[in-house]
Amino acid sequence: MAWPLLILVATPLLVGLACLLVRGRRLIEVLQCCQAGTMLVSAALLVDWVVGQQEASVDALLRADALSAWFDLILGIVGATGTLFAVGYLGEEYDRQHVTPRRHRLFFAQFDLYLAAMLLAVNVENVAIMWIAIEGSTLSAAMLIGFERSKAALEAGWKFVILNSVGIALALFGTILVYYSSEHLLGVTSEALRWSELYRVADGLDQTAIKLAFVFVLIGYGTKAGLVPMHTWLPDAHAEAPTPVSAMLSANMLTLAVYAILRFKAVADRTVGPAFTGKLVVGLGLLSVAVAAIFFLVQRDYKRLFAYSSIEHIGIALLGFGVGGIGVFGGAWHLLNHALAKSAAFYGAGLVLLRHEHKLVERVSGLLRSMPLAGAAILLSGVALAGMPPFGLFASEVLIAAGAFTARPDVAYAFLALLALAFATLLYQVFRMALGEPVEPGRALGWPCRLFTATAVGVNLAVLGLIGLQVPSGFNTLLSAIVRIFGPGMGSP
Amino acid sequence: MLSHFGAQIVDLGSALLLLTCFAIVAQRRLSACVDLFALQSVFLAATAALVAFLTGIHHIYIAAALTIIIKVLVIPRILKKVIERLNVTRELVMNVNVPTGLLICGGLAMLAFFITQPLIPLGFQLTQGSLGIALAIVLIGFFTMIARKKAVTQVIGFLVMENGLFLGATASAYGMPLIVELGVFFDVLVGMLIVGIYAHRLQDAFDSVDTSQLTTLKE
Repeated sequence: MAWPLLILVATPLLVGLACLLVRGRRLIEVLQCCQAGTMLVSAALLVDWVVGQQEASVDALLRADALSAWFDLILGIVGATGTLFAVGYLGEEYDRQHVTPRRHRLFFAQFDLYLAAMLLAVNVENVAIMWIAIEGSTLSAAMLIGFERSKAALEAGWKFVILNSVGIALALFGTILVYYSSEHLLGVTSEALRWSELYRVADGLDQTAIKLAFVFVLIGYGTKAGLVPMHTWLPDAHAEAPTPVSAMLSANMLTLAVYAILRFKAVADRTVGPAFTGKLVVGLGLLSVAVAAIFFLVQRDYKRLFAYSSIEHIGIALLGFGVGGIGVFGGAWHLLNHALAKSAAFYGAGLVLLRHEHKLVERVSGLLRSMPLAGAAILLSGVALAGMPPFGLFASEVLIAAGAFTARPDVAYAFLALLALAFATLLYQVFRMALGEPVEPGRALGWPCRLFTATAVGVNLAVLGLIGLQVPSGFNTLLSAIVRIFGPGMGSP
Repeated sequence: MLSHFGAQIVDLGSALLLLTCFAIVAQRRLSACVDLFALQSVFLAATAALVAFLTGIHHIYIAAALTIIIKVLVIPRILKKVIERLNVTRELVMNVNVPTGLLICGGLAMLAFFITQPLIPLGFQLTQGSLGIALAIVLIGFFTMIARKKAVTQVIGFLVMENGLFLGATASAYGMPLIVELGVFFDVLVGMLIVGIYAHRLQDAFDSVDTSQLTTLKE
C-alpha cells in the first residue's frame, strides 16, 4: 500500500467535498493551504517511492509506474501552487465584491474536484476508468471556464464543452476498440482493461484494431490537448476562464491529455511498431508548433498569447515523444518545465488582469516597474518559454532536436526553423509588456493577494531555475525508466 | 439454432438504432428529435437485454435498465424542459439541408462499414454486424452536431454518439465491466446537467440558443 499515492489522489477530493459543506471564507482558505502543502509533500514522497521501488500501487485500482509518477510530479507541484494562487486571486475578487461567498465556496469545490479528477486519471490502472476520470475533469473544467458568466465566458465554456465532449466520445470508441481486441487474449473481464496486462500481451493484439484505436484516441485526446486543427476551443477557454483556471488548463489538463495519448502510444508501439504512431504524432506536433508560432504575432490579448504558447509547447513535447529515443527524455522534461513556466506566466497575467481589468497587450507596458512581481513572472517565464538557457526548456528542445536528427533530419530542420520563429515572435510580445514605461495607473492589490500569489510565483520560478541548472538524480532515474517504456523510437529499424 | 436466430435479432435491433439516426437527421421539430432519441434508447436497451439473455452475461441487464432510466426517462425530460423554457420549437436554418444531410449520412454509414471490415472476423459470432453499425451511429451523431445550429440539437447529436458507443461496447465487445458502465452513465448524466445549466445561461445572456450567434471570440 503506497500511502503517498493514496494521499495525493484523495486530498483534493476530500478538501473539495469539504468546501461544499463548510461556511466562512477563512476556513476555506486554510483548507486550501493545507491541500497545497499536502499535495506538494505527497508528490515528492511518491516520486521518491517510485524511484526506489519502480512502482507504487493501492490495491488493483491505482498503480503509479515511472510515467505516472512523472505526471504526478507535474500535477502535484503545479496543482499546489495553483491552489495558492487561486486563494490569492479569488480572495481579491471577494474583497472587491465581484464574487459572493457562495460562489467563492463553489469555485474552490469545483477547482479541487477538477484537480482530483486529473490526479485520478494519471494513476488509475484501468483504461476505461482513466477515460471516466478525464471526462470528469472536462466537466468540472467546463463549469470553471464559464465561472465569470460574461457573454464571452459562456461562449468559451460552451465551445469547450461541445468540442471536448466530441473528442472524448471518439477517445471512448478507441478505448472500446482496444478492449474489443484485448478481450480475446485476456477474457471478458476487467483484466482486459488493465494497462500492465495490455503491455504484457500487446504484441499479440490485432494490428488493424490497434491502429484504428490509436487514430481515434489521438484525435479524441488530441482535442483535449489542444493539437492543431482541434485546438479552436483552447485560446478562448484560456482567455475567458478565471486566471487560476487558465493556469491549470494549460499546465495540468493539456499535460494530462498528453499522458493519455502516451499510454495508448506505448501499447500501439508494441503492437505495430513505433513508425506508425510516430508519424501521426510528429505530424500533429509540427503543425501545432507552426500555427502557434505564426499566431503569436497577431495576439492583442495577453492571456490568448500564453494560450497559443501552450499549443506550441504541447506540440514540441509530442514531437519529442514521436521521434522516440532521446526525444522521449526531452519530451518528458519539456512537459515538466513547460508546466512550471506556463503556470508562472499565467500567475503574472492574472495579477496584471486584477490591476488593469483588461487583457490588452499594448496597454500594459512597463510591467517590471509598475508591478515588479507580475513583471518578473512574465519576463522570466517568457524567456524560459522562448527556450533560452539556463532554463530546462532550452535543454529539452535541444534534446528533442537531437532525437529528431537521428530519426528524421527533415523533421529536425522544420522543427528548428519553427522554433526560431516562435522564439522571435513570443519574445517580441513579452518584451513589449515587461519593459518600457508604465502607461496606466491601475488598481492596487490587497496584501493577502500579494502574499499568496508571490508564494505561488516564487515556488514555481525557484523550482524552474533549480532544475534548469541541474537535473536531480531521482528525476534522471524516472526519465530513463520512461525512455525504456517507449523503446528505441522511429530512428531504429 | 437459437444463437443463429439471436444473431439476426441483434442485427435487427442495431439496424433499428441506425434507422432512428436517419430519422433524427431528417426531423426539424426539436421535441420530435427528443422523442426519436428516447425511441432509439429503447431499441438500445432492448438490444442490450437480448445480448445479455443470449450470452448469459448478467451485468448487461443492469446497463440496459440504466439506459431505460437515464436515457429514456430522465434525459428526454431535462431536454423537454429546456426546450419549453427557451421557447424554441423548430430548427429553421440549418448548415446542411435535409436531403443533403441524409445523403451524407448514407455515405458515413458506408464509410463506417468500410473502416470496420477488417475487424469483423475478430468479433463474437453473435454480434459481428454491430461494430460497423456502432461506428456509423457515432459518425452520424458527430455530423448532427456540425449540421445543426441550435444548442439542443447539438446535444442530441452528442447523445446519439453516446448511444453508438454504448452499442459498440455492449453488442460487439459484450459489455465493459460494470464499474466502467456505471461511470460512463454518471458522466453522461452530469454532462447533461451542465449542458442544461449552460443553455439557461446562454439564453439569459444572448436571448437565444442559436450557437451561430456565438461569434464574439474570433482571431
